[in-house]
Amino acid sequence: MNGSPPPPRAGAPAGVDAAAHAAAEDAASMRLAAHRRSRLRASLLVLASQIALLAAFIAFWEYMTAFDKQAAFMFGSPSAIGGFLLTMARDGSLWRDTYVTGVETLLGFLVGNVIGTLVGLSLWYSRFVSRVIEPFVIALGSIPIIALAPIIIIWFGTGLTSKIAMSTLSVVIVALVTSYKGAVGVDDDQINLMRTLGASKFQIFRKLVVPASLSDIFAGFRLTVGFALIGAIVGEFMSSSEGLGHAIFKAGSLYIIPKVFAALVATIALALVLTFIVGKVEKLLMPWRRLG
Amino acid sequence: MSTVASPALAAKAGAPAAAGVPPLKVEHVAKSFDADGRVVPVIGDLSLTLNEGEIVAIVGPSGCGKTTLLNTLCGLIAPDSGRVSWFGEAMSGQPAGVGYMLQKDLLLPWRTALRNVMLGLEIRGVPASEAEERSHVMLDKLGLHGFADHYPTTLSGGMRQRVALARTLVNEPDVLLLDEPFAALDFQTKLLIESDTAKLVRESRRSVLLITHDIEEAVSIADRVIVLSKRPTRVKAVYDIALGTERTDMIAARESAGFVDYVRRIWSDLDVTRN
Repeated sequence: MNGSPPPPRAGAPAGVDAAAHAAAEDAASMRLAAHRRSRLRASLLVLASQIALLAAFIAFWEYMTAFDKQAAFMFGSPSAIGGFLLTMARDGSLWRDTYVTGVETLLGFLVGNVIGTLVGLSLWYSRFVSRVIEPFVIALGSIPIIALAPIIIIWFGTGLTSKIAMSTLSVVIVALVTSYKGAVGVDDDQINLMRTLGASKFQIFRKLVVPASLSDIFAGFRLTVGFALIGAIVGEFMSSSEGLGHAIFKAGSLYIIPKVFAALVATIALALVLTFIVGKVEKLLMPWRRLG
Repeated sequence: MSTVASPALAAKAGAPAAAGVPPLKVEHVAKSFDADGRVVPVIGDLSLTLNEGEIVAIVGPSGCGKTTLLNTLCGLIAPDSGRVSWFGEAMSGQPAGVGYMLQKDLLLPWRTALRNVMLGLEIRGVPASEAEERSHVMLDKLGLHGFADHYPTTLSGGMRQRVALARTLVNEPDVLLLDEPFAALDFQTKLLIESDTAKLVRESRRSVLLITHDIEEAVSIADRVIVLSKRPTRVKAVYDIALGTERTDMIAARESAGFVDYVRRIWSDLDVTRN
């Protein structure tokens, strides 16, 4: 028909059909849009409530410390904390401390997770080896990392390396256990299927076990962001000249409570940013999870 | 039980064994399991033959050891006694040229439909471009044109099972072992997939051993139905199914004259009593 309008009579039924079809599609897309809008409204409501809760807490805190010198000294006040944050931002210490702790945390997180995940996954290869080392892993996992801090300082010095080592140690066992759990949790039927397709053990490992463990590995990542940060901060508590842990420790020793809280706010922000990045990477690496 | 293969059946090009040798022969296989120190016999004494180009269905009461049988045939577990021979040779390890499909589609969620189908070819080292081409063709044959790039989570149960079927067939197995592959599907989807499976399998003269609970499915699709007894499993009865219709149309098969009679007789063989 080359673009010319169809003759009215012959085209009429088809036109009616098409119109009905289009109307049905419109209705469907409107329903979808309405559904999306109501979902958006629900999540906006959650966000608004969270902001309100936080604001109420801060207002209560401010009010309770505004007329009571002693309370203001003991608990700090939101305005004083904000003041310290501003000063620290202006003199650059906020950025430097956050950067130092961030680097320590990130490196500890990476080294710990790479080692832990590699070991955890490769334990899938040998039931025998994993059974042999299981009690040792449990024993290592139950050591409070802070108890190791003095030795770590002796071994690695008071610089960056000892903080990264502390951070790595807090991460590695968790990463090992979560990735091993992911690897041994792979469906036996799926392994049998790979075997009937003629897969070697390495092919089963690479094409099935590793990708199937990804969601457990990422659950470990999200968990270990916090652990890595704890490791770095504890390392800084023991001996350091910079970093958020150093700032917290120093301000605490000098009874400058609002400054402790100011550094704590920066620590929380750092943890949130790192968790956000892990979430983004997870979505990027596991596109099939967004669907369904 | 007639096990004589006609010469025509064995004349398929590229048949791995001499004429007349059935793809699968099971002779007096027995298997017990050890449950808390008690020996539980699962398969008593089982013999059966799958001839070339034949579809054989195995039905049996629940828990009669069908899956154990299948795993034995696949080489995933070894029988206590008896012999399993594939293409006339005693089994050693995983049999070659055998495809396997279960009720669970077992699709890998991180692979698209196409890449799930490519899995077996990839494992065997078929070049990627050829594997992709063949997988596309197989998806098209199963009515999944345009769904190649979909992840399994975005497909319906029937479509997922079709992808699983494509993954099995793309390897061009001489024999298909199917363990209740259609059991989880709704009735209409089931009939359509059964018909497509029968068509593809009969076209290329592959042999099929179908394990199922569904007597109607067995009668409508199979050339022969083997009824198993309760545990310890043995063969209770064998039916050669002659429906006189085109055996690739499950609806026609179900409407044919002898259908209901076969179903009734097999049902009574199964001896299903309450409790």
